[in-house]
Amino acid sequence: MTENEMTSNDSTEPTPTTETAASSPDPSGDPLIEQSIDVEGTGDTAGETGEPVIESRDLNVFYGETQALQGIDLAIPEKQVTAMIGPSGCGKSTFLRCINRMNDLIDAARVEGDLYFEGKNVYDADVDPVALRRRIGMVFQHPNPFPKSIYDNVAYGLRIQDQTEDIDEKVETALKRAALWDEVKDQLDKSALDLSGGQQQRLCIARAIAVDPDVILMDEPASALDPIATSKIEDLIEELAEEFTVVIVTHNMQQAARISDKTAVFLTGGELVEFDDTDKIFENPESQRVEDYITGKFG
Amino acid sequence: MATREPETGWHGENSDVNHLRGRAFEATCLAATAFGLVSVMLLLLFVANDAFRPFSADAGWLATYAATVVVPLAALAVYYYRLDEPAGEVAYVTSGLPVVGLLLTGGFAVLFIELLSVLEWFALLISLVVAGGLIVAHGRLRPKAALERLGVVFLSPVITVFGLPPTRFNWFVTDAAAALGLDFGLYYRVISLREAIMLLPFVPTDWAMLLLTLVLPVAGAAGWFVKQRRESRRDGLAVVGMTTAVAVLGVVAGPLLGIGTDVWLLIVTFAVLPLGVYVEGVIRRGEGVCGLAFPVVAVLGVVVGGVVTGALGFAGPDPWLDWGFLTSATSRTAADAGIYPAMVGSVMMIIVIVLTTFPVGVGAAIYLEEYAPSQGLMGKFVTLIEINIGNLAGVPSVVYGLLGLALFIRVLQWPQGSIIVAGLAVGLLILPIVIISAQEAIRSVPDSFRQASYGMGATRWQTIRQVVLPEALPGILTGTILALGRAIGETAPLLMIGAAASVRLAPNSFFDVASMMPRQIFSWSSELDPSFRHGVLAAGVITLLAVLLVMNATAIVIRNRYQRTG
Repeated sequence: MTENEMTSNDSTEPTPTTETAASSPDPSGDPLIEQSIDVEGTGDTAGETGEPVIESRDLNVFYGETQALQGIDLAIPEKQVTAMIGPSGCGKSTFLRCINRMNDLIDAARVEGDLYFEGKNVYDADVDPVALRRRIGMVFQHPNPFPKSIYDNVAYGLRIQDQTEDIDEKVETALKRAALWDEVKDQLDKSALDLSGGQQQRLCIARAIAVDPDVILMDEPASALDPIATSKIEDLIEELAEEFTVVIVTHNMQQAARISDKTAVFLTGGELVEFDDTDKIFENPESQRVEDYITGKFG
Repeated sequence: MATREPETGWHGENSDVNHLRGRAFEATCLAATAFGLVSVMLLLLFVANDAFRPFSADAGWLATYAATVVVPLAALAVYYYRLDEPAGEVAYVTSGLPVVGLLLTGGFAVLFIELLSVLEWFALLISLVVAGGLIVAHGRLRPKAALERLGVVFLSPVITVFGLPPTRFNWFVTDAAAALGLDFGLYYRVISLREAIMLLPFVPTDWAMLLLTLVLPVAGAAGWFVKQRRESRRDGLAVVGMTTAVAVLGVVAGPLLGIGTDVWLLIVTFAVLPLGVYVEGVIRRGEGVCGLAFPVVAVLGVVVGGVVTGALGFAGPDPWLDWGFLTSATSRTAADAGIYPAMVGSVMMIIVIVLTTFPVGVGAAIYLEEYAPSQGLMGKFVTLIEINIGNLAGVPSVVYGLLGLALFIRVLQWPQGSIIVAGLAVGLLILPIVIISAQEAIRSVPDSFRQASYGMGATRWQTIRQVVLPEALPGILTGTILALGRAIGETAPLLMIGAAASVRLAPNSFFDVASMMPRQIFSWSSELDPSFRHGVLAAGVITLLAVLLVMNATAIVIRNRYQRTG
């Protein structure tokens, strides 16, 4: 316990903590929550927010020899929009993909440190990444619907998770929540690839929320879309935050300012420089580097 | 408006850019390609001339058919090409569908004549359906029991098709059954459903069994397709109903026309049904209806030509490749020689190859692309394997023949020159090609689909089964069919494993010694009688090439469809 706490405080030193994390049986529920309250108390995050649902402690990620993330400590609150901004290659997408263990799919990637989801370290040996991803949905940068019908796309998650009751109803609900129902209700049998880019991305969001996850991760969901489609997606994200915890990676600082409650700023080298309420980050950041980045002096 | 006057003429006027080397390179490449293509074309023309001997016909015969068939069809083709392209496609499909349908009919007819009786087919199919039903029912009743499901998936086909081997328990069961007077004649093993059906005292007539197991399923599939396409249940039912009606009508009327009922049912299933559905679709859409004239003109032309040449007494050609050649065995006299047993041997060899190489090759490709690690020691090992698969694709075929000889004949003691040995040896030969082409197809599935599927919480198996394989299947099929084309023409392995030079009777079991088309052609090439070396050989080559052409055309059609949708 104490060892973990210590390493999480001097975060710049990438000590190989996986050994201890994997071998010591400590990360059970209760002491972790206690510890997370500790972290909040130190002023790392603002007080008014809800319980942190995702929390990383000294998270280091390596791609082969390159280090992509350096000792990230971050607590993401429940049912809010948390934005991650930063220049290209700063590791914000890597962090996002650590949350649902998508980095496992990259053979060269190696994760050290702890990442807690609802009090459980997702890198524990007894966590099945497949089961984890069923509770943490993901929307990607480029709309990637399957080459199947619109209906089958939304029903895909339900079917693979054996939720075979009331599929019609759940598909309809998901499409309505993704603000797509009115546009596609008469053509559910049509191929999803015939939709426009913005519609495809909303379809991907519908697909992700159809299985009713707890968290939705979005990796630059609007960067491949035109401004009108983007604004639709942004409206949608704000609505989704009423029911889901949304974590969004974006290049677009205005977008982060518009839709997020919390903002994390990553800078080159995979460092988390500042994490705070969005208003504070954009109006009065503590770090000079963050201010430079936000005002466009670099990055 | 005044344009600036160039001072020293236009740029490049005194050609300071040297194009000579590029032009020379281009011309050399073109010449080399043209030389290769033209020489092969010339060879094929010679062979075709030997096989068909068109100039043995009267000039009048040739002129008549040119006037009734060639000229009208050429005119139609030009018309479609110039003015009505959709009609051209309709013409192409309506001419091609019956050909493919008749080939399939021929294949199934050979299957029923040489390999298994209609009753065996019926029993096998019913058993497989029951096994499938058991698997589905288990999936419905106990969706969570994965391990149990694996057992059911493997056991139910085994039990329904093969039965259980003798065990003490079975002795008890069969003894008890015998004591009760239920004597199946098979002691000490539990017979399978398939065997039970074959032992039934009353079996339906052949045509009824074919109607149940072949016509109705195919008609049902076509009906379902039509229903999906037009969203009309009535149209789908109409397809099933009409097909059944035509089939039954043919069964009643067929004997009067001299067509066997089984053959009639096969023709209905494979030629009449697809053609009917397609033609009906064309007429309903009203697009390219002119294309339907093409096959009509072709048939009319042949009929008119036949009447005219008969009336005027023009003698037709005397080709080596004729119906007799395709349906009879080889003989000591060139005029009677045929390729039928070798053709059956080739088809059965292809069946062995498809059943063994396709699953193994595709499985290996899936493993290498989706499961195999790419990092660390295991990753290096996998890379080594991949490089060696590439090398194996280049190992000479005679070496694979040697492998077949050593492994299957010397070690496993299977009969020398039998179809199963030939199929396995040639299957090993094309296995690397199948693996590589399947890998290519799997690799071409965009990674974003996999990401999306994994992101939804799909397991690797679900992702492969529901996202990757459906996308990759057309590519896998294309590659496999091309590899099968290579397999059907391989000769060296057949020589090594001792395939028969020529056989008089078509094989009717996979352990029979048989000849295959290339082996038969090879033995004709060393006959003393020149009419074998020129005529019969050429006819055999043309037959082999025709089979290859159909296979490659199928592959191309699949690929084009795939590109259109993908």
